[in-house]
Amino acid sequence: MAAGEPVPHEAAGSEQGSPEPVGRAPAIRPFLLTAGRVSGSGAAAALPVETQIVATSAGLTALPSLTFEQHDIVAACRRPQSVAELAARLRLHLNVVRVLADDLRAAGHLAVHVPNARTVQDISVLRRVIDGLRAVPDSRGSLRDSS
Amino acid sequence: MVSVPSPTHGAHSATAADAVEVEQPPLPVKLVIAGGFGVGKTTAVGSISEIRPLTTEAAITEVAAGVDDLTHTPGKTTTTVAMDFGCITISPTLKLYLFGTPGQDRFGFMWDDVTEGALGGLVIVDTRRLDDCYAAVDYFEHKDIPFAVAVNAFDGEIQHDLDQVRWALDISDHVPLVVFDARETGSVRDALLVVLQVALSRAENAEAG
Repeated sequence: MAAGEPVPHEAAGSEQGSPEPVGRAPAIRPFLLTAGRVSGSGAAAALPVETQIVATSAGLTALPSLTFEQHDIVAACRRPQSVAELAARLRLHLNVVRVLADDLRAAGHLAVHVPNARTVQDISVLRRVIDGLRAVPDSRGSLRDSS
Repeated sequence: MVSVPSPTHGAHSATAADAVEVEQPPLPVKLVIAGGFGVGKTTAVGSISEIRPLTTEAAITEVAAGVDDLTHTPGKTTTTVAMDFGCITISPTLKLYLFGTPGQDRFGFMWDDVTEGALGGLVIVDTRRLDDCYAAVDYFEHKDIPFAVAVNAFDGEIQHDLDQVRWALDISDHVPLVVFDARETGSVRDALLVVLQVALSRAENAEAG
């Protein structure tokens, strides 16, 4: 190869729209699923971490047709889960779960129960939490595995 | 956000024609447990949580403090940190979440992503490293979130008496300061109850005034 010839194409290959990205870190893929969207970037506020999410009957019916993370999220939401629990159990980034959960809500597969901000000031709720916490014994037995 | 905002007890937001029984979620409430690295946040969560603490990644905004680098331009960057949490089922309709917020010295953190809507916060202090908790104390004061400070008594001992700690941390008299043991369920429970009492008093005053 004579000096001055164009360099081989390898270096430029990835910039020419190769459809097969390979060797990506697993952490990247969820954000590919969200098409690069992150929560809180638009007009919509990020779902609070304790937001409860539960599958709708339509979502459970549609479960066999769902794939990958969408499938896993709806399946995990057979029982109500918080956004944080979902992220932890499915090992997904919190903000990926927020975006995908909102998509699945829009598709009718999930019901998303956004907590009411006024709860913080709700005296009856605070009293119920206090009474409930007082009932916690001085020591707990061995923790059950979270499942 | 066009999500259905649930009223206090979580109304059904799916259609009434649901054929499959869909379990109603509880009303979620949360407390935030803050403090420096290795101060016992995860231990405290684990001592009282009914599940083994889970870990997720939360986005936090770092505000560069520039304490030891005067040439540094103050700015904000969003970073991702591991966050441990657990929960306590108060009743079938009410669930308390406990989020341990990560902390570091040198940086001020804005935990808005986690603290938004929190009933209150508990700042855990290790008296051997008092300055590790300044950021958390400042944060709760600044955000006007009800909070208490709990000195974690490693091996049942603390290095300074509580008046010294209060003076060193410059926390006002109305902020409760307690000693607790992050390994003991009952001790963590009582510390959290102190926080909730602060929140309740504030809510009652707000209603009265």
